[in-house]
Amino acid sequence: MLLGEFEYLMLTAATRLGDEAYGAAIRQEIEDATGSPCSIGALYTTLDRLEGKGLIKTWMGDPTPERGGRPKRMVRVTAKGHRCRDLVLPEPSIASAAVSHGAKS
Amino acid sequence: MNRAGWWLADLASHLLDPHERDAVRGDLVEARVSGSRAFAEVLGLIARRQAALWADWRPWLAVLLIVMPIGLMLSHASRWWADGNALNISLYVRIWEWDDLGYPGWRRDLAIVIWGAVVHGAALVGWSWSSGVVLASLSRRTAWIALTLFALVLFIGTFGTTTIARTNGELFAGHFFAVVFPRLFRTMLVLVPVLWGLRTASRGSLSPRAAIAGAVLLALVTVLASDGLEDSLVLGRGAYRTDGGPDGAMGTADDPRPLWPVSLVMLWPMAYILVSTIWHRARISLPQS
Repeated sequence: MLLGEFEYLMLTAATRLGDEAYGAAIRQEIEDATGSPCSIGALYTTLDRLEGKGLIKTWMGDPTPERGGRPKRMVRVTAKGHRCRDLVLPEPSIASAAVSHGAKS
Repeated sequence: MNRAGWWLADLASHLLDPHERDAVRGDLVEARVSGSRAFAEVLGLIARRQAALWADWRPWLAVLLIVMPIGLMLSHASRWWADGNALNISLYVRIWEWDDLGYPGWRRDLAIVIWGAVVHGAALVGWSWSSGVVLASLSRRTAWIALTLFALVLFIGTFGTTTIARTNGELFAGHFFAVVFPRLFRTMLVLVPVLWGLRTASRGSLSPRAAIAGAVLLALVTVLASDGLEDSLVLGRGAYRTDGGPDGAMGTADDPRPLWPVSLVMLWPMAYILVSTIWHRARISLPQS
């Protein structure tokens, strides 16, 4: 299976966030780690791609006040996603490694 | 600017799927981005979504079979009939006297003019409505982009061409009949019916009975309006017909009509609606095994 760099970043960010993985949080995680802006367009189309490959599962969460009462698109990495992340890119780039190790910490 | 940006972002987000729209808006609110950034982000996502949709063959089929050929023909036909109606309206308004209705020949001419306007209007509405239905049926999520292209073809398709009516320089020297009236005519009799067709398609399929009635009616109207449609293309593009047929006279029944197949092109959206409606009904009425 082909796994692009950005897909790898997203899988890694979603893995790190665990139960708190959703659109805005993943985006923030990637931006903090890479120091580059992550567009909503890239984020959502990549989420669709990963879901299409069966590497993640997404669903609509509950609305929250800080989001103006709008729901989150929650993300969970599947077992297949975890396996792929570990196997497909054995030598992650500096950016991926930063996300993997948690740039914020 | 911030509020305007958010307003534009909200407006643009209607081009996204409802569940995605809410999640994206929520993400942008949570990220506390500026209005202009929110707008740019939403546009970026729409562009990516549209690019993915246009990788499919159906939107291109809609452009090739509806937007380009039918949009162009509707552009010519609507301008041709708008100018013809402008000429008739201005003529009757200027010379109108109620007493003239007492003359049988006058009444007959007036009836022919009104009948022609009704038939041509009905043809434009029918062709446009059926085109709108097919645009949405072929690719619902790209229908708005296809509609924008359709509107562009409709309004600029006749650029650089003219009509016989426009040889009346005095009438068309005025801004209203030269510019405003044709645009109004096209908007009301072409663009609005296309939108109506898009809406019809989004509400589900027609009943077979309605589809058959619509197809018969539109075929009838097309037969009545086909001569004008062909004239709008042949004469409207400036290629004057010089062959009057065996009798040598122009405008008579034996004139050659090399463009008669264009009427069939105008009918294909309605044929598609008819076939797909009957097919759909036949499928749901099949016994489940």
